[in-house]
Amino acid sequence: MIVTPGIIGRLMALGAFVAVAQIVCFSKMDVFGSDPDVALLVVISLGVLGGSLTGAVAGFSIGLLMDCLLLETLGGFALAMLTVGYVAGRYRETIGPPTRGATALLGGALTLLGSGVIAAIQIGTGIDATVSFLVVRDAIVTSLIGAALAIPVLWIVRLVVRSALVDERRAARRRPIVTRGGADQAPPVQ
Amino acid sequence: MYRKQVRRRRAVLLLLVAASLTLLSLYYREGNGGPLHGVQDVVSTVFAPIESVADRALKPARDLVNWFHETFDARGENDRLHDQVAELRDQLARAQTTRQEAKEVAALDETLSGGIVPDGTDPVTARVIGRSPTVWYSSVTVDKGSSDGVHVDDPVVAALGLAGKVTQTTPNTAQVTLITDADSAVTARIVPSGATGVVEPDVGDPRDLQLDYLERGTEIAEGQMVVTAGFSTGDLGSIFPPGIPIGEITEATPEEQQAYQRVHLEPFADLRDMSFVKVLTVPSGKGKG
Repeated sequence: MIVTPGIIGRLMALGAFVAVAQIVCFSKMDVFGSDPDVALLVVISLGVLGGSLTGAVAGFSIGLLMDCLLLETLGGFALAMLTVGYVAGRYRETIGPPTRGATALLGGALTLLGSGVIAAIQIGTGIDATVSFLVVRDAIVTSLIGAALAIPVLWIVRLVVRSALVDERRAARRRPIVTRGGADQAPPVQ
Repeated sequence: MYRKQVRRRRAVLLLLVAASLTLLSLYYREGNGGPLHGVQDVVSTVFAPIESVADRALKPARDLVNWFHETFDARGENDRLHDQVAELRDQLARAQTTRQEAKEVAALDETLSGGIVPDGTDPVTARVIGRSPTVWYSSVTVDKGSSDGVHVDDPVVAALGLAGKVTQTTPNTAQVTLITDADSAVTARIVPSGATGVVEPDVGDPRDLQLDYLERGTEIAEGQMVVTAGFSTGDLGSIFPPGIPIGEITEATPEEQQAYQRVHLEPFADLRDMSFVKVLTVPSGKGKG
């Protein structure tokens, strides 16, 4: 990812928007008894598009903001989301850009991972709860919703950070320019 | 170059993880008035108006998704409630039937209390399993037969009053001819006047019986009770023991009494709707008449 002041601004706006939207909107949606974790999917998308460093930083920032807005233990969501963002980024760096099927699978699996890490941190920091069937069911449903939403969320995030993506720039350079006469003209060598 | 990138990536990762763990640790240790809580409060306060606006702005989207879910959920719940209603209706019907049957059996026992069952008679409780489909309700089938000690001509009592007599038996069932049958005739007595006569059906109307062959000049009033007479003269005797309630006088006009020696009565037993009867079985064959 090509980092410019403009793209940092976009990423900050995206992070703030998604953190607020997650808290005031997505968390209140009832989809098959659970709710979509769009903030986590945005972090996964940023990791997949920008790499492990981008994923980790975005995850930490969005998670920390959510910790503040929810008045939760500071650092809980931050640690969980930074883990997920980093893993998503490492996937891209080691295997390459995911296909559509892999994106859905990655969305589902990493949502499950995120739910697990958040649950572990919350239990570890004093929430007196048992891992009941309902909790497991909720995590699985959230993960399935994550798998279903992974592709559209990735598409939207790609639109937001498109100008900063190295792949997009390379593709644009490779794209042939069609002249009025119909003859292809190679792009100028830089 | 690549190594430098890897080192930088690892350093940033370690820094972020360390920052998270430090925040967790410090936040967990400090009290509610600690600096991290203060920062959290400031951020929360700054974002509160944004959250409020976002909440209102995103409400339609949230409501739309929830509407789909609620509609989907309501359909499933509707099916589930339909099944539940059917099951509860079934349970209610069974409970009401059981209650009704228990009431009927209790009424039967009450009818036969007071010493009207002769010595040596063994009442057998039987369930009505078949009914003549004609309008005259002349016979019913019960689930006790000769193997239970039921014999032809055994008297049959329903809740509140006399029902009829057994006219046919099989090992497991018996046919009971009701007192509303055209061929039925039961010697009866009016209490307390003591006037006797013969109860016969008003064919076609199961709620009306006639008490015929009354002595002229007997004072009979509506509301008086008619019971079985159970007379016995030598070898000839009624098959019905005395004192079983039959019905209540409903119409006793002097003109009809003078001309036809007849009054009308309504049977106590609801012959159209009875589930249980008692067959007064007589182990040793007694004289019938």
